[in-house]
Amino acid sequence: MYSVETRSLVKSFKDVTAVNDVSFYVEQGEIFGFLGPNGAGKSTTMMILTTLLKPTSGQALINGYDVSINPKDVRENIGYVQQESTVDEYLTGRENLILQAKLNHIPKNQIDSRIDEVLELIELTEKQNEPVVTYSGGMRKRLDIAGGLLHRPKVLFLDEPTVGLDIQTRRKIWEYIKKIHDEFEMTIFLTTHYMEEADQLCDRIGIIDGGKIQVIDSPQNMKNSMGNEVISIILNDEKQTREFIDYISKISNVKNVKSDGVKITVFVSSGTEVLPKIFEFSSSNGIKINSISLTQPTLDDVFISYTGHEIRDDDTKFNRRREHAKMKRLRS
Amino acid sequence: MSSIMYDSYTIFWRELKRYKKSRSGVLIRLIQPAIWIIVIGNTFSGTQPLIQSVGFDGEYIEFMAPGVIILTAIFTSIFGGVNTLWDRRYGFMNKALTSPISRSSIAIGKMSAISLIAALQASLILGIALAIGVTFPNPIMIAPIMAIVILFSLGFSGISVMVAATAKSQETFWGIINFLGMPLFMLSPALFPLELLPDWLATIAKLNPVTYTVLFVREMMTGVSEGGVSIFLSLGIVSIFVIVMVGLASYVFTREVNKPF
Repeated sequence: MYSVETRSLVKSFKDVTAVNDVSFYVEQGEIFGFLGPNGAGKSTTMMILTTLLKPTSGQALINGYDVSINPKDVRENIGYVQQESTVDEYLTGRENLILQAKLNHIPKNQIDSRIDEVLELIELTEKQNEPVVTYSGGMRKRLDIAGGLLHRPKVLFLDEPTVGLDIQTRRKIWEYIKKIHDEFEMTIFLTTHYMEEADQLCDRIGIIDGGKIQVIDSPQNMKNSMGNEVISIILNDEKQTREFIDYISKISNVKNVKSDGVKITVFVSSGTEVLPKIFEFSSSNGIKINSISLTQPTLDDVFISYTGHEIRDDDTKFNRRREHAKMKRLRS
Repeated sequence: MSSIMYDSYTIFWRELKRYKKSRSGVLIRLIQPAIWIIVIGNTFSGTQPLIQSVGFDGEYIEFMAPGVIILTAIFTSIFGGVNTLWDRRYGFMNKALTSPISRSSIAIGKMSAISLIAALQASLILGIALAIGVTFPNPIMIAPIMAIVILFSLGFSGISVMVAATAKSQETFWGIINFLGMPLFMLSPALFPLELLPDWLATIAKLNPVTYTVLFVREMMTGVSEGGVSIFLSLGIVSIFVIVMVGLASYVFTREVNKPF
């Protein structure tokens, strides 16, 4: 039995299909990540798995329980940490955890010891009796995560666990997630649009874009399948991209070529042999190259090779939305 | 069943904790009813002969004090559900919905907390009334008064939670609530005796649960029965109203929160 399993999952809203025929499984004890830009269908899938949304068709199982048929059993098996912080600001850290413990029916005589244990784990023991309103963003997130694992669920869902946090805090959160995973041996399902996060944490990754899963594999296998090296070229003139790509794809040792405006990404098995040919063609055809680099493949490149565009595409739009939401909150 | 009680209590506990931490709100919410009782109570003191014509022998302010206590209960409870909207927007609702507790226990926990808070606010107004000279025939009457205020507020918090669960925005919520609150208060004998209302208004007032709560509290405070309505009839009608509202609110809430927000 898998911890999480979906079979041809579909979720349609009025005019969009947010999740389109998604099938995958997560093994027990695995850290599995959905990687994709905002609007790819990650959060919608997670909301179906946590019983917040009903699928339009298809099946989703958590530890063998169907989310549509036995939602109550599903809820007893999961912990869910949402993207936005959901702790009550005016309660103290500890009070928030007491609330979480009661919501999840932790036996009364165990509540205190469980809370002490997770507070220790996320290093908030000293701040536990202060109102959350005094906590930093990273501390709130840690408290959110602590709440999600207090009742030791079989599967812990983390929706964009580090979005909006600075890079040091993000690394710290990764450490906590790893620590939790080692200590409690729970299955962790997370969504992210940060490559590095997926790379650092996940045993396997599903790349999702436009509601469809493009590929599922371990980060290492994905990078290996890309070819040994990646050449990134930025042209001066977008009109020349087409012509250039046509030529590059014909060069031997080139595995795959993707383009996005003036940016061309070439996946090659031997960069040192391909580079001179690229230069030759560009200079004899008057194509101006603004920059060119030869690197080891990253998950960014993996993403581009499967979806044809960069994951950061939607980032600016997304940040604007977040900012907007934040302003709204501040004003109220 | 015991699990519903436990879960409702969990939500109730959370709502009260939040209320306790927002102390400034407690005082702000007292200003309006305090103005009512002091300003309206004294402005209309000249209507004493009218009041006496239907059997009250005290001052106007003693007649209308129960009305203002109920006013406080109405508005505290009918506004109380608004945090349901916050909970849905800022994720607490999803947290509760993905935990094993039942949907209706969330609604019931919220309603119980709101009605207790409404009763607390109402008791503070009762205190103000006593401080400005309203007298009580028998201090023991405070027990049944608070009991019916809690009961009544439970019904009104049902309206609030229902509207909040259905409304997708603050604007819709406040629009509906303001549309309901004031008329329900005005179409009752809170400020004016039932006997002196024009027939058509009296008929509408008799369909209003606020009317029976006011009559009940007024009889407890002044000892005068009004319009031939016994306290038992009032209690019965208010109880039916509350049972219907709590049931309806739990049902509507459960249905609405299962839809995407």
